[in-house]
Amino acid sequence: MELLNVDNITMQFGGLTAVSNFKLKIVPGELIGLIGPNGAGKTTVFNIITGIYTPTTNKIFFQDQDITGIKPDKIAKLGIARTFQNIRLLDNLSVMDNVMIGFHLHLKSNLASAIFGLPGYVREEESIYHKSIELLEKVDLDEFKNEKAGSLPYGQQRKLEIVRALATGPKLLLLDEPAAGMNPQETKELMNFIQKIQEDFNLTILLIEHDMKVVMGICKRILVLDYGVTIAEGNPFEIQNNPEVIKAYLGVDVKNYA
Amino acid sequence: MKKNNGKLYTIVTLIVLAILVYYAEKNLDAYNLRILNLGAIYVTLGVSLNLIFGFTGQFSLGHAGFMAIGAYVTTLLVLPPWYKEMIFIIEPLIWPFTIMHTPFIIALILSGIFAAIAALLIGLPVLRLKGDYLGIATLGFAEIIRIIANNIPQITNGALGIKGIPEFTNLWWTVGAAVITIYIIKGLINSSYGRALMAIRENEIAAEVIGVNLTYHKVMSFVISAFFAGVAGGLFACLLTTIDPKAFMFIMTFNILIVVVLGGIGSITGTVIAAFLFNISLEYLRPIEAGFNIGPIVIPAIPGLRMVTFATLLLIVILYKQNGLMGGVEFSWNGVSRFFQRIFSNKESSEGGAK
Amino acid sequence: MSLNLFLQNLANGLSLGSLYALIAIGYTMVYGILRLINFAHGEIFMLAPYFLFYGLLIFHLPWWASFIIAIILTAVTGMMSERIAYRPLRNAPRISALISAIGVSYFLQNLAIVIFSGIPKSFFRPKFFKNIYQFGNVRLQSTLFASVVVSAVFISALLYIVYRTKTGLAMRSISTDIETSRLMAVNVDKTISVTFAIGSALAAVGGILWGLRFPQLFPLMGMMPGLKAFIAAVVGGVGSIPGAMLGGLILGMSEILFVAFLPALSGYRDAFIFFILIFILLFKPDGLLGKNVQEKV
Repeated sequence: MELLNVDNITMQFGGLTAVSNFKLKIVPGELIGLIGPNGAGKTTVFNIITGIYTPTTNKIFFQDQDITGIKPDKIAKLGIARTFQNIRLLDNLSVMDNVMIGFHLHLKSNLASAIFGLPGYVREEESIYHKSIELLEKVDLDEFKNEKAGSLPYGQQRKLEIVRALATGPKLLLLDEPAAGMNPQETKELMNFIQKIQEDFNLTILLIEHDMKVVMGICKRILVLDYGVTIAEGNPFEIQNNPEVIKAYLGVDVKNYA
Repeated sequence: MKKNNGKLYTIVTLIVLAILVYYAEKNLDAYNLRILNLGAIYVTLGVSLNLIFGFTGQFSLGHAGFMAIGAYVTTLLVLPPWYKEMIFIIEPLIWPFTIMHTPFIIALILSGIFAAIAALLIGLPVLRLKGDYLGIATLGFAEIIRIIANNIPQITNGALGIKGIPEFTNLWWTVGAAVITIYIIKGLINSSYGRALMAIRENEIAAEVIGVNLTYHKVMSFVISAFFAGVAGGLFACLLTTIDPKAFMFIMTFNILIVVVLGGIGSITGTVIAAFLFNISLEYLRPIEAGFNIGPIVIPAIPGLRMVTFATLLLIVILYKQNGLMGGVEFSWNGVSRFFQRIFSNKESSEGGAK
Repeated sequence: MSLNLFLQNLANGLSLGSLYALIAIGYTMVYGILRLINFAHGEIFMLAPYFLFYGLLIFHLPWWASFIIAIILTAVTGMMSERIAYRPLRNAPRISALISAIGVSYFLQNLAIVIFSGIPKSFFRPKFFKNIYQFGNVRLQSTLFASVVVSAVFISALLYIVYRTKTGLAMRSISTDIETSRLMAVNVDKTISVTFAIGSALAAVGGILWGLRFPQLFPLMGMMPGLKAFIAAVVGGVGSIPGAMLGGLILGMSEILFVAFLPALSGYRDAFIFFILIFILLFKPDGLLGKNVQEKV
């Protein structure tokens, strides 16, 4: 069963073609990398999958359902979550609130029972509270739960954003440059973390990264984008030795990262 | 758990409040009662504006319009038919308003409902605008409502307005409405829906991607906010006993905005304090207009001096307390006990924030 | 409606529109730089005819001298309001600056009541403005011409300053990016002061021309024209000076023609203006000549 099928889509903004003829099929359990120079259209692909943009031509299918043009909140409910290149946390809210909001989309209680604190709602709220604490403990952020999210150091903000995405209970997780700005030690921890959550939460992961250690280290399959066009697809070894890729992106001096 | 203590303290406070209201109603003169009533009405107005602006981050300048709807609905429902026939002199009042006559509580609830319906109709198209554009659009709608009221004498008596409205509003009603408004809006804010609203305020795109339906939540917040503005309008009408379209110009919205910003955006406590400060200071500045002496200098009675002084004070406050008087800090029983702990022991508190 | 009547209304609309344009430019320039809706701008507009009035009546100055002094005084008032009430809040949350603007507005309105009294005053109309010119069957008051001509003169001067001088370059630079401008050695404070001075001066001209056209002065006379001028700026695209001009003309024409074609609904003419605003915001949210700046995701 295909989890995600991006079926030959093109994205045009006025006269500019950001992405052309992009094809991607993902089956459950994969960990796929999306790489390429800046401006290649990688984040645009993410924005299309999560419903922020609607592709100019053709369609996207998630679990065999046509999700083209569906708004981001509905796509989140269907089971796709993402993080952002520039970290979009709710800075003035507490760390705890940032995670708890992730559970809102699955809330069963209606507005009135929430306002008046009816027992059904109180139970749900307590469950959300405990599940959030659990998630925070997994990344050692639980001691900061009452701090403002914006006051956390950079690396922890990234972790928090991932945890918030996990709270929505996704089947497919899109990570946009999660290792940006991290030192080698943090990067190594991140790699372990990504593989761990994939296992613990039964996730399929699509990853944008510039750090080749991460990409070659954990991704089983890699797509390379340049000027909106997919110039290569394959496993890490194939990609590292692909002359097109080397010319456009990796540079001649690349070592074997696998 | 600490939560149960909080509930207890709240109940005790409400009882004390009820006793104070009883005492005030029995013993204070009409002048002071009016100030307190206005203060309480402004609490309702301020807290409801804080919901859509402070918590949801949507810059709405339409509050006066919803107040106007509420004021006119209550007025038309609360006046007896024979009186309405008498005072509509430009054009006779049309049916069915001629026969409608309801108790005060029903009128207030219907005021809120009609304001809420207006908010639903206005909000659906307009809430997709952002920032200052939303502000000017909602201000435009509020002015349109006022201009309509000015031009349909067969329903509103036009620019003449309506006089002789029964003075049903008293401290029980205004404080009661304020308490209910705070209860409901606080209940909303402290729930998952409240988190969703604040997420919209903090980062709309992130909120949407996390699964928050922007349209539903924005409109919900807008509609609830308008409901209470409508109720406040009804209370307002039966306090001042006369209304006309000019009372609902955008200056009214600005006054409520001043209360919200000075109290601290997103702080209900701040709004309560600022609402009363606003009205009390306006009243107590009146003597300035009557003429007074500073030593040998005699300053004669000059109309307008009161508002000049008020505006100056406003400027001073906003220039020195740029984040509002409370700075966004919210009241909580835990916060109060921590405050006293800090004063009475010399230990440094390591907890941050009041929640 | 006869052709003559239509032309008459068109001329009226053009004249009113040029006044709105003068005021709207001040709003749009300040918004372009500070992202602030200067609610006090309507009061600046109101002060100028009062200054002129007192110059003539109390100080017995000749008309042209009072005119110039009134404009200078108004420009100074505008600059002072920026210095006192807006500059300290440059790094504060934007809503605080807005509250400050409301405060300045209340202050100036009521200061006018205190100093000038709330009783309406009759604006003096000098002889050469009392003429009525006739074109075929269309009779136009000379104030109509004055509005259009004087506005055109001052707006041309403005456009020259903005597009052909270093100061203007500085203004345009700041409205794009204040921090970078500072790094490029632009004197931000001085440029902002100049912006306020120019915007206030234009509003002053507008106020005086308004007084000639509607010769009743009262302290609250700036409220509605100020609001409408701001709407004109939004309709044309906030931050764009040509936009403010276009918006002003469109609004002025719409107001006059609305009343001309639908006299029974004349009480709704201000509502019509708000409808235009909302219509534009819903379909072209950045205004007619505005730039569409999208948020990068």
